[in-house]
This record gives sequence, structure tokens and C-alpha cells, in this order.
Amino acid sequence: MTRVRTSGLAAASVGLLLALTACGGGNEAEAGGSEEIRLWLAGSDTPQELRDYLVETFEAEHEGMSLVIEEQDWSGLVPRLQTALSSESQTPDVVEIGNTQSPTFTHAGAFSDISDLVDELGGDDLLEGFVEAGTVDGDVYAVPYYSGARAVFYRKDLFQQAGVEVPTTLAEFGDAAVALQQANPGGAANFSGFWLPGQDWYNGIAWLYSNGGSLAEQDGDAWVGALSSPESQEGLQQVQELFANATSAPRDADSAEPWVPFNNGEAAMFSAPTWARWSIDLPECNQGVDPDDESEAAQAALAEQQACNEERTGIFPLPGPTAGEPATVFAGGSNIAIPAMSGNQEAARDLLRIIFSEEYQTMLAENGLIPGNSEYADALGDDVYAQAALAAALDAQLTPPAEKWADVEAARILEDFFQEVASGADLAEASARADQLITDTLA
Amino acid sequence: MSAPRTSSAPVLPPAPPRAAAPPVHPDPPGERRPAPRRRSLRSRLGPYLLLLPALVPVAVGLGYPLVRQFVLSFQEYGLAQQFGRPAEWVGLRNYTTLLSDPYVWGVIGRSVLFCLVNAALTMAVGIAVAVLMTRVGRGARITLQVGLLLAWGTPVLATMTVWQWLFDSQYGVVNWLLAEPLGLTGMRQHSWIIEPASFYLVATVIVVWMSVPFVVFTVYAGLLQVPEECMEAAQLDGANAWQRLRHLSLPMVKPVLLVVALLQVIWDLRVFTQIYVLQRAGAPTRETHLLGTYIYSLAKEFSMAGAMATIMLVITFVLTVFYIRRMLKEEV
Repeated sequence: MTRVRTSGLAAASVGLLLALTACGGGNEAEAGGSEEIRLWLAGSDTPQELRDYLVETFEAEHEGMSLVIEEQDWSGLVPRLQTALSSESQTPDVVEIGNTQSPTFTHAGAFSDISDLVDELGGDDLLEGFVEAGTVDGDVYAVPYYSGARAVFYRKDLFQQAGVEVPTTLAEFGDAAVALQQANPGGAANFSGFWLPGQDWYNGIAWLYSNGGSLAEQDGDAWVGALSSPESQEGLQQVQELFANATSAPRDADSAEPWVPFNNGEAAMFSAPTWARWSIDLPECNQGVDPDDESEAAQAALAEQQACNEERTGIFPLPGPTAGEPATVFAGGSNIAIPAMSGNQEAARDLLRIIFSEEYQTMLAENGLIPGNSEYADALGDDVYAQAALAAALDAQLTPPAEKWADVEAARILEDFFQEVASGADLAEASARADQLITDTLA
Repeated sequence: MSAPRTSSAPVLPPAPPRAAAPPVHPDPPGERRPAPRRRSLRSRLGPYLLLLPALVPVAVGLGYPLVRQFVLSFQEYGLAQQFGRPAEWVGLRNYTTLLSDPYVWGVIGRSVLFCLVNAALTMAVGIAVAVLMTRVGRGARITLQVGLLLAWGTPVLATMTVWQWLFDSQYGVVNWLLAEPLGLTGMRQHSWIIEPASFYLVATVIVVWMSVPFVVFTVYAGLLQVPEECMEAAQLDGANAWQRLRHLSLPMVKPVLLVVALLQVIWDLRVFTQIYVLQRAGAPTRETHLLGTYIYSLAKEFSMAGAMATIMLVITFVLTVFYIRRMLKEEV
């Protein structure tokens, strides 16, 4: 980095990073001009079959136009959009964005107003919290694409050996986790009743929300941190107990890949979006199939392996404070919007119409994603995974729809805070400090 | 990010040992004739013309962002401004906000300390290994060189992934080694990055490990230029190995050492990738920010980030002005 040494600026390297990432996708389409529509999808959650459907349908309806789908990585999406969306030549025409990230861009004026289109796309059936995250002063700029709520996976055999039943209330859940941890039926060296790493606030806030607490509250025009409210404190108290007595997960880990310790026999439960079922790979079920092997025998062995894993694993939505009601968990998922800089507004709106058509929404549901239009959620099916996903999503809640919420996430304030909670910090003091940071960041 | 370091190649050829072995000037006397006046003007301009191809990219690639950063630092410029809202001039407000925040001073203090400790350690280890390379046999030297080159040539993110796994609290080999063969069972789940002090210890190990090869190769090349005769003469006069190194070799390669130390200070002050990756590995972010990562964390508020980067520029200048003056003096 001698090039920048006289300035010695990390800012320069930031710029460099932005420039590099901005080149990741996008430039190749410029030649196509207005005949080409570009859709940015985030991550690999949208299956190939759905992408093909979009391209075919769009191109059949628009003679002479083509749809190009470019996949963007979730990590670093915000800085990439920062540069791409403000440039007429770089911007995609339709863009998927994380639900908690969308307020930052809607407030900045990065998206086109699509209020007049909302009724056509599903109106009141659209997922409510997501629409709120895409709304500024009553105008809608971003609509829900899909949602995926978290549910708890557990090892049936360990539950049985420890004499623990599937919990029906949040308090029972805590007791079950502690009991499992103490029983350690598998005899693993470093056993967790419930896998809860120190920085995993995505799962931790379920206790906050379920007790009626929140991360930040609107006070007039300003947002203030709300971790110190009595309701939040009660939830945090329960989380701290879990950290102390129900988990051996490292304090310096986050919510990434919770199935690793689960597969290793080091955890009896973990909480994750329901598609985590495909990542469960218990040693006693593993058939040692080469992942590149596409023969029929290998496929059969894999199917058998998956069936074996699913037989030994159970799933339930995190229970709420009263029996029969699920907890209020964090709603993961994404929104979709039309960048204001796009030169193809009409075609982009047509693409949104296709995405919110019955066919496409049903396809989303069939692939295990809760579709943006809840009317079509029935297509999720009725196996235990779909049921758990639906029950969890019923009452799921987003992060506060504050303009600068993405800054709070970027500054990793909640990661730091939950790590402190996990380290046994004084709750009132740590919460007051974190509240101050949240208030300052959102101001 | 190790690749750009090769662009410092111009400093590699060490200055010839001035006092001991005057370089031979094989200029044939025929060319010493005084040139006509017309040519002398051109030859006076010549060097400046040759500088142009280097100056233009520097002005475009470095000057423009620098000016832009400077201008931004006096405005209010965030995401909304990037999407077309007019930027407001705020004078020195960004600077006063930053400099009146005790947290910012904490970051500055930590960064300077981290930079000085790392630069000193890197220089010490680097010089020691360079001296070692002049003493050992061919096989050992080649092994050392290959090892150093690998450490230097591997992409930073790849090495960071390895380091991260070495120090992982759940499955890391460092904890395993401490717990199993060495019997420190309390270290089985130890988190190396959750306490700032121990975080910086790990970061220092990694940063020094990555920077040492550059120092070794440069200093080793310098040491090779120390004339054999001087060393022999000193040996005959009864100087032992340490005295020969201390009073002969090191003073002779001093210009090289100064340049390398200067670069180390600059590099270690704006260390970014290693800290950023370690933070993402689960460290408390706010307590472990150094200047580089702190500016990055401000990047949504471009004007704040610009002001902080300008402050960092001043710090870099203050830290290095002493070296640069010394270097210029040496060259006169």
C-alpha cells in the first residue's frame, strides 16, 4: 500500500474496497442499454428454478428486452449499494435488500415511490413489518420479497436421555436448556443445552421481544435506545441466565453455522431459519457420499441420510411466555425495490408485477421461503418444518424502522452488547451504555 | 494487501556504503567536455520530463481523493447527499465533534502505541533474522528465504483465515496445544480476542509475522553491501562479532534501516485488514478499533470519515517528520 502511504489513509482503502466491490457485478450490462433489465438478488436464497421462471416470463412479455439476474453477496451489500444506486450507469433496475437495511436507503431517496403499485402487488396481504420498513411518511418505496423466521432444532435422543419434554412456554424452554446442560447425556466435553454464542443477538432479541421489550423506541422525531426499559431488562435477564447456565458456546462467536456443534454432539438445541435442516449431518447418519457423485446410488444414499437426520432431529417454534403462543422472534428476510436512478422504471414495475404474481409467490413458498404476499403462504406445505416456520413467522418482528438502523448494525453495537451480557456484565449499566450508543447513532 | 508492498521496490537497492568503498565512476574523460548551452537547457529539463509519467498517476490517483476528502471534511455529506441532496458547509464542526470525543482520543492513543510497538518489534526481529542469514550456511539460508517469501506472498485474507482458526476458542489448535499436551485445562475454551489487551497481542503477533520478511530481505541486501575488507580489518583489530555489527555493519546500512523503519511506522499506523478480520471473528468491536477500522466504521458519514482521515494524515506526518528530516540530512 505504498501508493497511499503519503496520505496514510484508511479512507483510501475504503474507497478501494468500495470500488472493487462495486465492480463485482454490474458493468457488463452497460452495453445493453435500455433493452436490458438488471435484477440484483442478494445471496443464493432464490433457487435457480425461480430465476429461470423470471427470465422466461419477463422476456416472453417484453419483446426485444432481456432480463439479467446478478447475484450479490450479502456481506458488504450496503457499501456496494451505496455506490451502485447513486450512479445512473451502474444501478440495477430492481434490487433485493435486507429488510433491516432498507430504511437507510428509503430515507436517503435511493428508491422510487411505488405506493400506487402496492394494491396491485398484494395490498394488505403483504408482510406488515416489511412494508413498514420500506415506508417513509406514508409513501411505500420497498415491498417484502420473502421472510424466513427462526425455529429451534433439537436432538430427540438427547431429550429422551435427559428426560426433557419439548417446552411449551419460554420459561420451560429455559429450564429444559439448563436441565440438558446439566445432564449432558452424550458426555461431550463442552456441552451446551442450547447453543447460544455471545454475539448472537439475532436469536437473543427473541427474549426481549417476547417480554414486550424492544431495541429502540420512537420519541417524537428522535429514536432512543430501549434496552433499559423494564420489559427489555426482564428479557435480558433471561438471556443472561441462558448464557450462564444453559450454554458453553464461545462468547466470541456469532450466529453463523450453529449446526456445527450440533452435528458434533456438543449441543442439544440450536435456533436457526428452517432451511438449516439441510445442514444437519449427524455422524451416525452420515453415509460418506462424495458431494460430487451424482450417480443414482449416491442420490439414494443422500436421501436416506437426510431421512435419518430428520428422524433424529425435531423442530419447534420458540414458545412464548404463555403456552400455545409462539415467541416473538426476529424476522429475517428481504425487501425488493426499484432504484430511483434506474432508466427503466416501467419495465422494472412490470418485473415487480411478475414477482408478486400468484405463480411466483407460490414457487417461493414451495421452496420453503415465506412469500412476501402472505396469501400464498399455504403453499409452504404441512410438514413439521413448514409448520414451525409459519408459527414462528406469525408474530415475528423486525428491528426498529429507524432511518439509520443500518448504522447500528454496521457499528456492531448489539454484538458488543450481547457479548457483555454473556460475560456476566451488570445488566443495568451495560444496557444504559448501549442505549446511549444506539441513541447517538440513530440521531 | 501484501502485494502493493512490492511497489516499494524503489527503496530496495540500498545506498552504497559511502565512506568505506567509494563507488567507481567509469565515466570516460571524453564525455566530460562542456556541452553547448542549448543542450544544457534540455538536459536540465530532462529529469523533470522523466518525472511526469510518475507524477501524473500520483496526482490523479492520490491527489484527487485527497482533495475530495479534504473538501468533504468541511461538509455534511452522507448517504442522502450521495443521492442528490445538496451538501451543507459546516466549517470545522466535524473536527470539533471528533476531537472533543474522549473515545476518539482513546483510538488515537491505542493506534500510535500499537504502531510504535509493532514497528519496533518488526525491526528488531527483522534485523536479527537478516544478521542470522549472513551467518548460516546455504541450505539454512534458502530454507529461511523460502519460508519468509511464503509468509510474505500469501494473500492477507488467506493468512488471516488460518490465524483465526489457530486462535479459535472452540476448535483452535493453540488452545488445544495449551490444554492437552501442556496440561493447562483452563485454556481449553479460552477466548483470545475478547479482551482488548489479548486482542492486541494476537494482532501484534500476526502483523509482525507478516511484516518481518520485508525488513529481513531489505536489511539482508544492505548487509551484503558491507565490504568484506572492513569487517576483516575490524576483526584483526580485535573487535568481536557484536562490536562489528554494532559499530560497523549497522551504521553502514543506516540509510536502509531508516527507510524501512519509516515505512513500518506508516504501515503499522494504518493497519486495517488484520484488525478488521479479527474484529469480525468475534472481538468487541468498539473497544478494539484502531484508526483504520474506526474510519471505516464512520464511512456512512463520508464527511466524518474524511475529517478523521485528515486527522490521521496529520498524525502520520507528526510521527514521521523526524525520520524524514533525518533521512534528508543523511542524503545531503
